[in-house]
Amino acid sequence: MDLIIKIIFVILAPVIGGFVYGAERIVRARMQRRIGPPLLQPFYDVLKLADKRKMIVHSTHAFLGLVHCLSLWFALAVLVLGGDLILVIFLHLLSTALLILAGYSTRSIFSHLGANRTAISILTYEPILILIAVSVFMQTGSFETSSIFSYGQPLLLKLPLAFVALLLILPIKLKKSPFDVAEAHQEVTGGVELEFSGIFYEAVYTAKWLDEIFCYTLVYLFGASNPALGLSLVLFAFLFLNALDNSSARVSYKQMLRFSLTVALPVAFINLLLSILQHVV
Amino acid sequence: MKLNSFRRKSPWILHYNAGSCNGCDIELLACLAPKYDIERFGMINTGNPKQSDILLVTGPVTKRSRERLVEIYAQMPEPKVVVSCGACACTGGVFRGMYNCEGGVDQYIPVDVYVCGCGSRPEQIIDGVVQALAILEKKTKELEGSVKLNRNVVTEGAQVNRREVAAEIKTI
Repeated sequence: MDLIIKIIFVILAPVIGGFVYGAERIVRARMQRRIGPPLLQPFYDVLKLADKRKMIVHSTHAFLGLVHCLSLWFALAVLVLGGDLILVIFLHLLSTALLILAGYSTRSIFSHLGANRTAISILTYEPILILIAVSVFMQTGSFETSSIFSYGQPLLLKLPLAFVALLLILPIKLKKSPFDVAEAHQEVTGGVELEFSGIFYEAVYTAKWLDEIFCYTLVYLFGASNPALGLSLVLFAFLFLNALDNSSARVSYKQMLRFSLTVALPVAFINLLLSILQHVV
Repeated sequence: MKLNSFRRKSPWILHYNAGSCNGCDIELLACLAPKYDIERFGMINTGNPKQSDILLVTGPVTKRSRERLVEIYAQMPEPKVVVSCGACACTGGVFRGMYNCEGGVDQYIPVDVYVCGCGSRPEQIIDGVVQALAILEKKTKELEGSVKLNRNVVTEGAQVNRREVAAEIKTI
């Protein structure tokens, strides 16, 4: 029964992601005292993009965009269905790497800049995710996410600093202000997604929603044994990210890197040391 | 439920400043701000011609910016509409007849909606964009309709002369 719910969740992940994205746009608008678009707006966008004539730079570029979306979906499936956490992180890395390749494969300078910055943002969040996965391993004795679901008590109480570290890197991962240098609509007009158009941009657009679902599932894992706690953590992360997005200005990639390596990485590292100490004592 | 009925609901705007004094641009950005909030119609100000539906041009097209204007117009995938914002973009305004510009956007690219005013008020711009949406829908229908070739096939030897077969360009 549990497995069926998870499979349905994975299959419907783009649809749920669309609703999350629509809700996010409404929440962001309300925070600025605007009315905001309707909840179904992302789906209108997607249907419009499906109908719009496409301009392909070259076939590899368009193909990489599609595969980026599919591999991200696969990573989400492995995460939700209880796979290896390290494998999940590397699958996510693979999907981002495909997008970076797509960015480098065009001659557009904005696309190159976006690909450079996406590569730097991988450098900022990937070590922290790995450290979090290792400290989860120290607690539960397994890298499998199914062991987190069956762990018994919520990980939040055992690894509070890991949750803080995850919250610190989520804006980098989801390309939210202040760490949205990779996307930076006013500066590099979307970065790697610049050259996609029509139905191929739709794949990249859907991949953004899948990325949100992926990140919120990671947040949910910290309260996995108690669904109410998990969902409230997700809600908290959602409001935190949007408030941060609305209230902060973009920082440069150097500042982002410095923040990640001097604040988020030490937090994750201390968390790992504490969990090792707990394990030894 | 037809796919193209959703086009009305998610028009993405590309804003290009072709040598404007920034008066119209400020009014245009005021549309995005809380008071007028055109995002409630699903409009986003994208900076990317490849993903946008409506081209909003402000300013008399100066000789420096006209090549870029035409290039941006060419990079937008069909169907697309052009809205010229403000007196300068419509006719050249006070700059008409000067050495550095010729009168308005429609000297270079086809314009669908003219929004007057110096600078045009946000209400006018919203009204112009909403009218552009109706034109966008009409253009979509025209694109989907079948094209009747109105000439007889001309053959040169064994080959069909394709240029002669092609339909004439309709003038609006």
